[in-house]
This record gives sequence, structure tokens and C-alpha cells, in this order.
Amino acid sequence: MITLTPLKQFKYPVYAECITPDVFQGKDIAEIANLPVNEGNQVKNLSDLFKIEEDNAATPTITINGDASEVRRIGIGMKNGEIIINGNVGMHLGEKMVGGKITVNGNAGQWVGGGMKNGLIEIHGDAGDYLGSHYRGVSEGMKHGVIVVDGNVGSDSGCYLRGGVIKIKGNAGPFLGYHMSDGTINVEKNAGPRLGANMIGGKIVVGGLAEDMMPTFTIDTSKPKVKIDDTQSAQGPFYVFLGDLAEDGKGKLFISKANNPKLKFYEKYL
Amino acid sequence: MTVIKSVTCPICGCLCDDIEVTVENNEVVKMKNGCAVCEGKFLGYKGEHRTKKPLIRKDGKLVPVTMKEAVHAAAEVLANANYPILYGWSSTSSEAQRVGVELAEEIGGVLDNTAVVCHGPSILGVQEVGIPTATLGQIRHRADLIIYWGCDPWSAHPRHLERYTNFTEGRFEKSEWTSYMTKLKAHAGNRKLASAMRIEDSKAKPKPQACYVGGSPPELSKGGRKLIVVDVRKSMTAEMADFFIQVEPNKDYEVLQALRALVKDKELDVDSVGGVPVEYLQDLADALVNCEFGVIFFGMGLTQTAGKFRNIEVAIQLVRDLNSKTKFMIMPMRGHYNVTGANVVSSWQSGYPYGVDFSLGYPRYNPGETTCMDVLLRDELDASLVIAADPGANFPKNAVQNMVKHPLIVIDPHMNATAMLGDIVFPAAFVGIEVDGTAYRMDSVPIPLHKVVDPPAGVLSDEEILKKILEEVKIIKAKNAKVA
Ligand code: SF4
Repeated sequence: MITLTPLKQFKYPVYAECITPDVFQGKDIAEIANLPVNEGNQVKNLSDLFKIEEDNAATPTITINGDASEVRRIGIGMKNGEIIINGNVGMHLGEKMVGGKITVNGNAGQWVGGGMKNGLIEIHGDAGDYLGSHYRGVSEGMKHGVIVVDGNVGSDSGCYLRGGVIKIKGNAGPFLGYHMSDGTINVEKNAGPRLGANMIGGKIVVGGLAEDMMPTFTIDTSKPKVKIDDTQSAQGPFYVFLGDLAEDGKGKLFISKANNPKLKFYEKYL
Repeated sequence: MTVIKSVTCPICGCLCDDIEVTVENNEVVKMKNGCAVCEGKFLGYKGEHRTKKPLIRKDGKLVPVTMKEAVHAAAEVLANANYPILYGWSSTSSEAQRVGVELAEEIGGVLDNTAVVCHGPSILGVQEVGIPTATLGQIRHRADLIIYWGCDPWSAHPRHLERYTNFTEGRFEKSEWTSYMTKLKAHAGNRKLASAMRIEDSKAKPKPQACYVGGSPPELSKGGRKLIVVDVRKSMTAEMADFFIQVEPNKDYEVLQALRALVKDKELDVDSVGGVPVEYLQDLADALVNCEFGVIFFGMGLTQTAGKFRNIEVAIQLVRDLNSKTKFMIMPMRGHYNVTGANVVSSWQSGYPYGVDFSLGYPRYNPGETTCMDVLLRDELDASLVIAADPGANFPKNAVQNMVKHPLIVIDPHMNATAMLGDIVFPAAFVGIEVDGTAYRMDSVPIPLHKVVDPPAGVLSDEEILKKILEEVKIIKAKNAKVA
């Protein structure tokens, strides 16, 4: 197991694509120390920026202790093993990750699990915008796997979601699940405006207030509860909306009845 | 006294190229064809705020220095910076922008233009779904339905209607100027009548454009070119529109998406969207579908309100849907005269239109991460170069505070707010008045800019200043490499 401790508070963006268990595996500590990272426009060695320690446990685990909020692309494309970050972490955590587990005991920046293919990311804090989303110009967001966020998430989370589950225990920003075609998003608290805009499939469950309903969703039915995944279901009752009509979409929104009295007028269509 | 014809106006994205300038003793003395803004610039550019000497901040004060000294100082800062930003580029020539890209690559900096605070979201929207567009010439001759959404050309692009849309005489579509004047006169007559009869002005009455519930409003079934304005307030352009729709602030996305559903003949569960009754949206949708060649022009009312690039994305998707029923185009109302050029040059040189980060040795682009506003707000920079823009006057306070913490190099003809905060200030010649160049109109058509007078002695163009800095940077970097 490798432990990394930042040697300073980073000012410039640090691109540390090498911090994944797959790259570290089979390397001794000297080799790891020589891995290249970018700080601003300078190329440095990992050991210039982090104190690197090794213990004897054979698990392919990387622990980062300290503030890594300027460190980007940690766990990019990782296939197995585990990364634990005790502190905040920067953008593109677990970008296009294929397997393994990432735990953040702090907050994470934007694009957590961007284009993620599988694996598990747990954030015991808040996450920025574009959680589990696509990258610009690409129409594929997260495909499989699970992301759990204990706090709030920013805007455009779960954009172009193709599968997998995103569980948000706090609030979500605007455009949650934009253009998603499959998969599940569960927000336990409130969801921002333009919820599920352009959605063509999949489901979003909102346990709190849905700030605004897109006019292009039509009410379908109401349900007492809904399944999130094999281990969890959410208690309703829920209004079930279908949409987005503008995309001829078949996406489903489950919106808590109790917390959204202003949606009562839809009941006349039931 | 010489009269120079077909001069291009270097102010807004319309790039009107029919201006006549009369020059006497190296001074512009008379103007023809330009709008008030154009005359203001050509006749008043030699204001008291003009800088003519390079300046460097010493002991807190900007003092004049030689060009060589200023170039060396600027190059030292840039060559040794770890994460510099190079911002501005919209009010200069594409020739200067091209040198800018090379400089950014050489120093491994973040190159960004003013699109980041105006039409950057439009570009993001286009990258998500593509864009069906045309040149302004096509629109002038053929468009029979013009929509201005979230923009007010009568105030911001004063000759847009006159040169490219409703008030121009196209080959297949006639000008609506006379009918507008008749309407205006009738309106003035009505107002006089009303005041003569001591009736409160039309304020209390329903607005004409919002009173035709069911059936199509007569304005939308009239012949000739139609003008529709969608905005959050009744702007000057809205005053002359055939149909005006007032949307609640930050609700454009919902309205556009609802229009998409209506164009696809879907039923909505709601009665109104963004404060607009669905009946009016239905009328609007019918007008969109029934035109022969429609075009949506959009401004910052769409790009910089809630939803940002998603607003543009949905507007383009609406246009895409409409193209299955008729012919429809969409175009951003670009502001600065060569902001389109900044995007074009950056794309052609680096592959990306704005927010290009060269720090890893190759260009990367991810707005939100590599855009200068975000870099400034996160305070990741250690030097900046600002050219042909004035972020000191219009960026958020925190961003400016972070900018002035580090060395700031400014290239501008004027002592603007940013120059006053700067550490190294270069005076530049006015592109399009004192130097030639190329600029890209809002429809991405390149138009030549003309020099009509000479710049003050010793004042160089942006391109020349940048080239000098670039050369010096290369020398310093070669020296540093030798030492290492
Ligand atoms: S409309 Fe714009 S380009 Fe045309 S003259 Fe006026 S300011 Fe110049």
C-alpha cells in the first residue's frame, strides 16, 4: 500500500494521471517517485510534489492524506484496486474508470466519474458539476457502476447517463440527468430546475422538492414506492412523469408527492 | 481632403463594409453611412485616454520607458511564468490573434478570448448538436421570418436590421421599412388621439401582441418578412416587432423546449410556460412551421442567463426539428467586431475556439477547467497578458483581484481600467483605423479592415508588439535552457 502526502498547498493545476493502482502495481518506491506529473506548465516527478511512503500490506491501495483539490485526473481509467483520499480532491476523479473503488473523505471537484465505465466511487462530502457525466463533444456519460455522494452535487450531473446508479444524499443542481437514456439517479433531498431535460430513458427519483418541472413532461401515474437498485428502494408516494416529450423520450421522473404540493394540479389528468 | 470608400467599421459583429470616411491632414473629419456608434469611434478615437508610450510600474507608478525595455520586461514575465493566461483578442485583427496563439503555445499558457463571457456558451451548444446556419447574404435575400431572441440589435448592432434582415431590400424578400414607418406613424397618431381624449395611454390595455388568443394573430399571417422578438423586456427592437413574446427571466430554456414539443404536435399538461400562455406559443410554433426560410438570431439574453449553453443547445435543437418541416437557420449575434475571428483563428491553429490550455505542451480545451474566468477565480495563474479587452472594468471583483496579484501586461490603444491596473502597458494602434487587418463577421465571413490614417509616431500595431514579445521570449527561453 502506498501513501502519498502533498508536500505543499498546490497553486497551479497538477495533472497526476499516474496516481492509479494499475500504474503503481509492480513498481518499487523509487520507480513510483520518478513517475511524471504536470504542475502548471512544468513536468515534475511525483516525489517533487508528494511524500511517498510504502507499507507492507499487499493490497493495491493508494491513500492520499491532505488537500489534493488542485490534483486532477486521479484514478483515470483505473481497472482495479482502491484509492482513498483523506481530504478534498480536484477535477476528473475516476475519469473513464473501469473498475475498483475510490473513496473520498472530503469534497470532490467537477467531472467525478466522467465517462465512467464501471466501478464504485464514494464521496463523503460534496461533489462539483458534471458528476458521472459525459465529456464535451461526447454523447456518452457513465455506463455502469455506482457513485454515492453524501453531500450535494453541482449542475449537469448524470448528463448523458447510459447506465449505472448515482445516489445523492443531499441536493442536486440544475439539469440533473440531462439527456440520460438509461440508469438511475436518486436524489434524497431537492433537485434543481430543468430536471431530466431531454431525457430519453432511465429514471430519476426525487425525495425532496423538485424546484421546477419541465413543461415537456406529462404525468403518467402515481406509485407508493420505487426500486433504486437491488439493495435499496425509495418510499413514496411519488408522482410519475414521462418525458421528455420534445425528444419523444420514455424517461421516468419519480417526484415525492409529500414534498411537492404545487404539483397537485397534475392529478386532474390521472 | 480624401474620401475613402468601402471602409469596414471595426466595432460590432455586423462589420458594415460600406462606410465612407473623409480624411484631412491625417484626421478623420467626416463620415457617411455609419451608425452613431461608428461615427463616435472614427471621429472620437483620439481621445484624451490614448496612450502613446510604453509604461512600466515602478514604485507603484506607471512611468514611460522605451519599447525595448517594455518588450524585455514583458517577455521575462511570460517566459518564466508557470501558468500564465492570455486574454482578450476580440477587438484586434486575426493577424495579431495568430501571433497570440503561437505565443501561448511557446509559454505554455492559457489562451482565452472574450467569448468566454459572451458567446462561449453558443460554441459549447454548437459542439453538442451542430449548427444549421447561413451567411448574412442568404438571410438578407431569402429569409421571410426573423426572430431576435434575447438580443436587441436596434441598440447593440444598430445596422443589423437595415443591412441584413427586415429593413433591407433582398432579391426575393422586400424591405419592411415602409410598413414599419406606417405602423410607427399610426402608433404615434393613436397616442396623440388618446392623449387628446385624455385617455390613459395604452399601458393598462393588453399589449396587441398578447391579445390574440386562439387563431393566428394578424401580424403573423401578414405577407412579407415577419419580425418576432422574444425577450424579458420590451426592448427597442421589440417595439418594432410584428409579434413580441415576453418571457420571464431565466425561463427561455423551458419556452424553447415547449416550442420543440409543440412543433412536434405534442400536447402539454401545463397552461403557460415561462409566463407565456401555451396558446401564444402554439401561434408562434405555427408561424415557425409555416415560414419558408426562418432564422433565429440570439444574444446574451440566451447565452448568459440560467441554462447558458443548454439554452443554445435547445434553440439549435428547435431549429433542427424545424428543418424537417421547413428551412430554418440560427446565428449568434456576436458583439465585438472580431470575436468570431478570435474563435476562428484559435480553432484553425489549435483545434479549439477558446479556453485553450497549452500547459501540458499540447492544446486542451474544457470550459469550466481551462477557461480564464475559472482559472482567475481559482487563482491558479501567476501572470497575465490582456490585449484588446478590458477585464479590469467588467470581470467579477474576485477575478480582477486575483489578476492584479500577479504581473499584468496590457496591450491596448487606451488607458482603460485594465491598463491602469497593469504593470507593463503597451500602447497599440487602432486596428481598422490606423492599421490594416482581417476580421470575421458574425456569420464567419472574413472581411478586410482598412487603414485610413497613420498611427501616432512610435505606436505599433498589436501584431508587431506581439511579435517582438514572442521573439524575446524565444531568446530568453533559449538562454534559460542553456543555463539548465
Ligand atoms: S452596425 Fe456595427 S459595424 Fe455597422 S456601423 Fe454600426 S457599429 Fe459599425
